Amino acid sequence: MGILERLLRSRAFVLALIVLPGLWPAWPILGGNPTVLADPSKFLLHHFGFVACILLAVVLSLSPLRILFPKSRLVSALNRYRRTVGVSAFFYALIHLGFQLIHENGWPTFWTDLRKPFLLVGVTTFAILLVLAATSFNAAVRWMGGRRWKNLHRLAYLAAALAAYHQAAARKIFPVQVLWIFVPLAALELARAVIQARNRRGGQVPRSPLKIPARGA
Amino acid sequence: MRIHVPKDWEIAESAATPEREYRARTRRDFLKMAGIGIAGAFLLRPAARAALAGFPSRANPDYPGTDLKVTPYNLITSYNNFYEFGMDKGDPVGEANQGWKTDPWAIEIRGLARNPGKWDVDDLVKKFGGTEERVYRHRCVEAWSMVVPWDGFPLAKLVDFADPKPEAKYIQFTSFLDPKSAPGQRDESFGWPYVEGLRLDEARNELAFVATGIYGKPIPNQNGAPLRLVTPWKYGFKGIKSIVRVELTSREPFNTWQRLARNEYGFYANVNPSVDHPRWSQASERVIGGGFFSGRQPTLMFNGYEKQVAALYKGLDLARNY
Repeated sequence: MGILERLLRSRAFVLALIVLPGLWPAWPILGGNPTVLADPSKFLLHHFGFVACILLAVVLSLSPLRILFPKSRLVSALNRYRRTVGVSAFFYALIHLGFQLIHENGWPTFWTDLRKPFLLVGVTTFAILLVLAATSFNAAVRWMGGRRWKNLHRLAYLAAALAAYHQAAARKIFPVQVLWIFVPLAALELARAVIQARNRRGGQVPRSPLKIPARGA
Repeated sequence: MRIHVPKDWEIAESAATPEREYRARTRRDFLKMAGIGIAGAFLLRPAARAALAGFPSRANPDYPGTDLKVTPYNLITSYNNFYEFGMDKGDPVGEANQGWKTDPWAIEIRGLARNPGKWDVDDLVKKFGGTEERVYRHRCVEAWSMVVPWDGFPLAKLVDFADPKPEAKYIQFTSFLDPKSAPGQRDESFGWPYVEGLRLDEARNELAFVATGIYGKPIPNQNGAPLRLVTPWKYGFKGIKSIVRVELTSREPFNTWQRLARNEYGFYANVNPSVDHPRWSQASERVIGGGFFSGRQPTLMFNGYEKQVAALYKGLDLARNY
């Protein structure tokens, strides 16, 4: 087992990878970066939204990676913590929403802005992530049944598409450059579609299996 | 004895500004700064520019301190939308100071002008009798605002100097083009150089200003050195930076942001709390430097300059002409 693989199999390491981006803003804020201090709530709001997008793109990349590289031990190590990564995307989105409310100075501006597609799309994305996080427990998987659970959780792809729009729309124009987060994901999905189509023609249909750990596991 | 008759857009002298280094200039400050300016002219190039461009600004009794909270200098100069030097607000303070030359600088007057030609900026400022100081509100279309103590000259002086022909109805400004110095200009999708424009009567309004300084210092590169437009009743993007060309025209200029997103940004760009941006409300704004829980303040019609500019737009549908 390589060092990287061992690290990726460690829950502590994965959690550190997830938590550290949330602590990062302390650096420019305590360091007195004037650009950040000019409007700190905007900085925090954008930062947490950005990290939520990254985590969403990462978690969705895992299953095409598994189809594309079925033998890679690294990919399978990464896949162990899919749900942890997915739920953390939700928590970053939750903090992002909290900072948005502080930035808007409470609900009134938020409600007015909710009529705009920009904020409506953001809130819809959050609602999807909320449902997915709420059903992320093993008990929920058992209760819903694997297939229904999986279908529901395919909404994550819709969330990613909406998040991509929401993120680009946060700027003065729609700069395509900011979509780079989602470009690798789109490429992976395309490659997966090609491979699955080819395999299906060969009579072999690999699915990404859903492992439900036994109670108490 | 000098009797000070305040302009109607001026704000009372009552309250002090929080920024210690900033004061409405007293005679002693003026003399002290003049001394630094003259001595500096022999030492440093920026100081040389300061002396030539008429710094320090003369204390203009019509434009004293204000009861607005003036935004600290370090925030004004490190929170900039200047896409020529990057799309993040922290980019320009670094990128615009990596060898981009703004001195010497020439500005060209052309089009329907009786006095076309090319002039050195310092000469032009001297010709206009040096600079004066004005504290203006600054409202960005992204719903944040600052208060900036600008130094410069009224745009009307430049318009008069250009001497428009009768058929001239608009004034178009063009910024610099130098992708080698300005990394943002290597992205050609923006259609550089930046272009802005005003109706000639807007340009002659007493508020329309050309800034060459901030806080009594020459304007930093990231704020649009060596001269930029300031139209405080309009959104910040109208304030084109680092102007190289002024053209008098008979047709409405097609400004950069209108070209980039015509359904979101128009020619007028007047600050208006009741006309929303398609993606966000313009009813309120965040004040830069206000801190984390500062909340928002209501945005004022024409950014608080209704009295001075409302007459310009009589009969104009402001929701359509955003």
